[in-house]
Amino acid sequence: MRGTLLYIGQRLVLIAITTVLVSSIVFVLLHQIPGNAFLNETRTSPESLAADLRHYGLDKPLGTQYVNWVSGVLHGNLGESLVNRGVMITPLLVREASVSATVGFFALLVTVGLGLILGVIAALRQNTWADYVASSAAVVGYSVPSFVIGIFFLLIFGHYFFEWTQGTVFYNVGWGDWTQIPVPAIALGLPYASYVARLTRASMLETIRTDYVRTAWAKGLKARIVVLRHALRNALIPVVTILGPLITGIITGSVVIENIFGIPGLGKEFVTSILARDYNIVIGVFTFYAALVGLANLTVDVIYPALDPRIRY
Amino acid sequence: MTAVDGISFEIDRGEIVGIVGESGSGKTMTALSLLRLIPEPGRITGGRILYGEKDIAQMTDEEIREFRGNEVAMIFQDPMTSLNPVLRVGFQVEEAMAAHARFTRQQSRDRVLPMLQRVRIPAAKERVRDYPHQFSGGMRQRAMIAMGVSNEPSLLIADEPTTALDVTVQASIIELLRDLSRELRASVILITHNMALVASLCNRVIVMYAGRIVEEGPTRAIFKNPQHPYTWSLLRSMPRVDEVEKERLISIKGLPPDLGRMPPGCKFHPRCKFKVDRCLTEEPPLGEVDPGQLARCWVLMKNIQNPEAEAQR
Repeated sequence: MRGTLLYIGQRLVLIAITTVLVSSIVFVLLHQIPGNAFLNETRTSPESLAADLRHYGLDKPLGTQYVNWVSGVLHGNLGESLVNRGVMITPLLVREASVSATVGFFALLVTVGLGLILGVIAALRQNTWADYVASSAAVVGYSVPSFVIGIFFLLIFGHYFFEWTQGTVFYNVGWGDWTQIPVPAIALGLPYASYVARLTRASMLETIRTDYVRTAWAKGLKARIVVLRHALRNALIPVVTILGPLITGIITGSVVIENIFGIPGLGKEFVTSILARDYNIVIGVFTFYAALVGLANLTVDVIYPALDPRIRY
Repeated sequence: MTAVDGISFEIDRGEIVGIVGESGSGKTMTALSLLRLIPEPGRITGGRILYGEKDIAQMTDEEIREFRGNEVAMIFQDPMTSLNPVLRVGFQVEEAMAAHARFTRQQSRDRVLPMLQRVRIPAAKERVRDYPHQFSGGMRQRAMIAMGVSNEPSLLIADEPTTALDVTVQASIIELLRDLSRELRASVILITHNMALVASLCNRVIVMYAGRIVEEGPTRAIFKNPQHPYTWSLLRSMPRVDEVEKERLISIKGLPPDLGRMPPGCKFHPRCKFKVDRCLTEEPPLGEVDPGQLARCWVLMKNIQNPEAEAQR
């Protein structure tokens, strides 16, 4: 137990270092992009621009700006939006992150749930039509990028469903109603679900041929217990291993999906803020993503020993 | 392809029968078929396996499930891989009992510790909650045996139970098997290629070659007076402590036949020094060569005196 806590502590320190590195690199690169947030036609005088720059501290040297930003972050303040003056970024990102988390959570459910079910069925029915259907679907699923699936879903559920059902059952682009969750969540989760399905199938095929599964049959256990408790339990170990990269994939995938489906989450903000050169938001989102990926991987590593007792930290 | 063909033998209550033969001679397949555990895509294509009055080959799935581990239990060759790595040893023993109607749930739980003590696992009380990787090879095999005898089966199949173990541990495992079979009045099928083990433990021996029984009889008779050339060569290929004269050990030239390309006639004839013309074309039946001793050999049947065989003896 003490070893586990020590391990978690070490990992948290590493995540903090990574986050600082990511934010400083982004900070430097961001300022190299041509253009800035204050270029627009309503700007009348050079004096007002100077006033804006002073307001945001952008007239100071880059190093000082970064130090100021970091000290703000340590106080939980990510600064103010350059484009929408007076909008504080911390509450904005918290709100958007909760939207993204909702989509991401359901996408993860689709990924793991659908992936496991298809993988197990394909393995248990190896070389039957069920296996061929599931395996082929998985190949298609992970070959097609999520933005293609997204647009395809938009066409089917947003357009054709509207026509077929005279506007009673269809997917309405946007956010605010729980019925708007499934379509983007499935579009986001589907490619990863295919990946999980393929991995689960391969892993199950391996475990159902192991000696200990034969032992389980020889003990006279019920088929359900042999499959779930003995075969699947062990087959899950490699699946959990890829859960970390998978969550990262869902986070980056959400950037595309949220833009296609008009979901006001972090992913949409990510793109919008870069295009608007809203420095404070861009760096805030980047840093948040860096920390999130680190924490997701840490979470997976922490639950790993619960699944495989041979692993101890 | 036929792996095992025309095997026919009987086992009486309390008897210990050894099945010997080279690797690939069908010993394990014979044993697995008794529990209908032949790995895919293998099948039992014909014949009967009678347990008392019941034909195992005709049982329904539920009947065979209740039968496995309850009436007939099996101990596998490699204890390192035959226990599920993610489940506690005690639980795996409990599970074997809980799967069958013989004991109630509570009884199954209460019997775990006594079972582990019975197979002489040191400090069993502390080790019930250990995982297999915390056990040594010998202890794992003891745990497998505990699992096997936990339902007090009337037949115990031990498939090379000591092959994967240290020589020092082998003797104690064998002793344990012998004691348990006596206490439980259970019959044992011991599959091995260790003739010394057979000599010390078994009442009766079955010698297999290329998926067939080539000789069968009381242990004493087989060792004193081996009839089939294969048995004879097998015994002559082992060093003996009681041999006064120094004799060269012989090795059997050639390899056992490929299942896909079985020789015509007697399956042993390509490696047999005593073959006659008939051996090349016609497979000999299993005939009684001495009271209670059967062998599958034309030479013995026709009682042809082979000068070389005479000279060797």
